[in-house]
Amino acid sequence: MKHITCGRLAATVILGSALALAGGGCGARKAELHLFTWADYFKPDLIAQFEKSHGCKVVVDTFDSNEAMLAKFKAGASGYDLVTPSSYAVEQMRQLGMLQPIQHAAVPNLGNVDAVYLKSSPDPRMEHSVPYMLTYTGVAYRKDRVKDVANSWSVFDRTDLKGRMTLFNDMRETLGAGLKSLGYSINTVNRKELEAARDVVIRWKKNIAKFENEQYKTGVASGEFLLVHSYSGDIVQVMGENSNIVFMLPKEGFSMSCDDFVIPKNAKNVALAHAFINFFHDADNAAANTEEIGYLCPNSASFPKLSEKTRTNPAIFPPEEVRAKGEIIQDVGTHLALYTEMWDGIKAAQ
Amino acid sequence: MKHSRLPLNVTLFVLVFFYLPILVLVVNSFNAARFGSGWEGFTLMWYRKLLDQPNVWHALSNTLIIATGATLISMVLGTMSAFGLHRYTDALQKYHFFLIYTPLVIPEILMGMSLLLFFIALGMQLGLFTIFLAHVTFCISYVAMVVLGRLQDFDFSLVEAAQDLGATWWTTLWRVLLPLLMPGIISGGLLAFTLSIDDYVITFFVAGPGSSTLPLYIYSMIKHSKDMPIINALSTILLALTATTVFFSQHLTKETRT
Repeated sequence: MKHITCGRLAATVILGSALALAGGGCGARKAELHLFTWADYFKPDLIAQFEKSHGCKVVVDTFDSNEAMLAKFKAGASGYDLVTPSSYAVEQMRQLGMLQPIQHAAVPNLGNVDAVYLKSSPDPRMEHSVPYMLTYTGVAYRKDRVKDVANSWSVFDRTDLKGRMTLFNDMRETLGAGLKSLGYSINTVNRKELEAARDVVIRWKKNIAKFENEQYKTGVASGEFLLVHSYSGDIVQVMGENSNIVFMLPKEGFSMSCDDFVIPKNAKNVALAHAFINFFHDADNAAANTEEIGYLCPNSASFPKLSEKTRTNPAIFPPEEVRAKGEIIQDVGTHLALYTEMWDGIKAAQ
Repeated sequence: MKHSRLPLNVTLFVLVFFYLPILVLVVNSFNAARFGSGWEGFTLMWYRKLLDQPNVWHALSNTLIIATGATLISMVLGTMSAFGLHRYTDALQKYHFFLIYTPLVIPEILMGMSLLLFFIALGMQLGLFTIFLAHVTFCISYVAMVVLGRLQDFDFSLVEAAQDLGATWWTTLWRVLLPLLMPGIISGGLLAFTLSIDDYVITFFVAGPGSSTLPLYIYSMIKHSKDMPIINALSTILLALTATTVFFSQHLTKETRT
């Protein structure tokens, strides 16, 4: 008899600790909003304010690539109420039927979303996604070391900067730069256009130090590289440390990428998710968030509220006519093989 | 006869190779530069910023809860399985050994994905508990392997002697077997703890809402965060804590021995 009670006790202890682990130690349960996003992607004060005004708790979980996040959802992960993938991943999620429609009535602030951006968005009517943060791909250079930089992708033809420039080691971005330099769309599926872009990039390849995605930040800060293909969001941070760095968006056009709010089909707290989107598209909140994060929330009502410093920073806030030249990199489906073929050609070229 | 300088040089090289990166990390945690491109002056800014980063602390506490729990459970289960593997001979033992060994060699991404599919099939809510189970799964094997090594040199006549002298099964276990195996169990446990605390791949797949661990958080910071150096600060604090713990535990064991 004694053995049985002993066993039962042990079982209770194990089960108890298991339950405590599973429940995450919740006592009186407030409503929870589970946000699945990139780390440090929302201003913490604003989250606290949202929690207070809606009497809820925002639980933030993070992912580090769209692909890993997608893999999790494909396997059937649930429990996330709001996710912020990049546009191309949004498109894939929509095709897989993972998203639920945005209820416009529940998000009155959708009227604030920038119409200029929406024209180029893959989801211009915001049926299943709402744009959250926008970044651009352009060129950054050291104004103290490089003179007469033309506002054009042709800067990569400058032989005087040989070995001091970098291009992205990214098929779509770098072929995209080649396409734009010729005036083509970065989402083209025309073989002739792509071949022409390939030849441009092969020409550039002779002048650059390497194809590179991460080190260019420290490289341009230290002066190892003088002119680099760069993401605006990354370069804003480097510019904060080195005032000699200038960012420009080439006049022929450039690529943009946007992270969007989406609500998964199996979200538990749909109402709160809509309220959260609405809160972050409030003009004041969107402005405060843009200032903190260093990316642009495409919310036209917030633009006049941005500080002078942000409004004049071309890496965060390009003027409207410049912004209109941006193009979102979209899923090209089976034509991706064509891109891969061109990219292989570039990599193999001497 | 001339002494070769080679061993000294190799030792120095290995020490530099091991500890220089850690030193760089510690130094950079006081560096005002965000990108580590150069020394921009001494600052405590990253430590201050770390203090108002509730997400980092939440992730750290998740990590510690899981690592401690998984280590303790896998120490018990791992020791038991090592004992079972060593003590009994059976036609099936070869396969049992294979079962314990497999998690050591299976690619992490495969294990993560299959565990995720398994948990989903069972309808389990992903969270700390599923991470805990996943970590126990691979930690058991490490503990079992280490303890098995220890058991290979174990002199079972000691157990027989204890029983000869009238010790019950229970006393033999607590007073003879476990104390002798303890170094193996502890080192297996430490290995499990280390593996659990920095596991990324498996954890990512089986994590659920609210259960982000520190490795998951750090990986995600690479994408957008402006405050990467706070991780240097956090690592420095953890390093200091570990060093102090090790120092005191050595100090304590020394005293009990004398």
